[in-house]
Amino acid sequence: MADDVGSIPELDQKKYDADEQVKIICLGDSAVGKSKLMERFLLDEFRPQQLSTYALTLYKHKATVGSKTVAVDFWDTAGQERFQSMHPSYYHKAHACIMVFDVQRKITYKNLANWYKELREYRPEIPCCVVANKIDADLKVTQRSFSFAKKQGLPFYFVSAADGTNVVKMFREMIKRAVDYKLNPSDFMDEVMEELENFDLEKKEENSEADENGLSKPPQQPGSTLRLIRPARVRDQTFSGNSNSLAFESSDCVAMTRKSKDNR
Amino acid sequence: MSCEAKRCGVRFSPPSIVLMYVHTDTKKMRKRIIPVRNFSKYSDCSVAAERLKNHPRHRDYLRQVPQSQLEKLHIILRDHMQGSSLEDILASFRLDPEEDLNKLDDEELARKKGQMDRLFERNRKRTDDPDFVYDLEVEFDKSNQEKCSWDEESDDEF
Repeated sequence: MADDVGSIPELDQKKYDADEQVKIICLGDSAVGKSKLMERFLLDEFRPQQLSTYALTLYKHKATVGSKTVAVDFWDTAGQERFQSMHPSYYHKAHACIMVFDVQRKITYKNLANWYKELREYRPEIPCCVVANKIDADLKVTQRSFSFAKKQGLPFYFVSAADGTNVVKMFREMIKRAVDYKLNPSDFMDEVMEELENFDLEKKEENSEADENGLSKPPQQPGSTLRLIRPARVRDQTFSGNSNSLAFESSDCVAMTRKSKDNR
Repeated sequence: MSCEAKRCGVRFSPPSIVLMYVHTDTKKMRKRIIPVRNFSKYSDCSVAAERLKNHPRHRDYLRQVPQSQLEKLHIILRDHMQGSSLEDILASFRLDPEEDLNKLDDEELARKKGQMDRLFERNRKRTDDPDFVYDLEVEFDKSNQEKCSWDEESDDEF
């Protein structure tokens, strides 16, 4: 209940609250090499868990940061990027984001702006980086500067999943930043979500009837659910005592994502 | 029998895979026409390719032909059976850097990725390569970088 924004039955996203767990998400257009980068970093560890219903692939990794062992879950899209938008659960509780484009295809670079905008709607503060992949195809691109990362104040990496250039460096730095962020979250949303979750737990019993009402609500347009977890709405919903409808709007959206996929 | 595969193609009528190979003993170039049987416009190309690759009469000849290539040839054959022109079929495999791949369906995307994978495999460093370095780091000199043309035309977008 409390975790409905990230509601994926197979996954308990609450685990990401534990100190030794971080969630890192990958964003970027189709075929920019997101999975290839994961594969190059993880090598033998590479055992993706496909959640095809949700167009989602998970990779688990154990990392050592300082003296601590950290369990890292990498979230990768599996075609969901085609909707030009990710389900809110994808961003939920993420501690860092790796944005990838293909140096051979301009459109994938231009689309970074859209991905970044959506990321910041959900996660205004988490560490993020820009990755220019496939430099092996044409090393000359490394003599060019790409201004998007600089303008947004994001670290930028030239990498190649094929020959391995800077792949491990990039992942290690992002894991470190994810862990640092977790220790010192600067995100207002994290606090709001925590508050909301506590509130939900308290309200759960007295509101159990409202569940059915919530479920029968017609599906919302994705556009409206995008704004679902913005602070203002969260407060409205919370203090009107109607937190259940909030939760079910988001699970309606799961159904919608799946439906629109089937309709293609 | 030992042979060296040179080229492999497809013939629409009757549906066949055509293999050019050099006979190792005689050094002569030969052509082998392999009929594609039990194959329709509804067939699964990957299954058909695997079946052909392991066919007892042909597998010795096809040993050097990657299954992915056989699959691609079957896709061409199937698309042709579905009425597409050869030009359109070949275009569906071609990479256009301007094309928005987000707009393709699974199979169309798989074709483009197949092409990309060829470059990837060509440049790939494998763990068993003697000069493989897991955490390969390369610094690129930022001081001499020129502005990328992708930023010029629409700076305001970002």
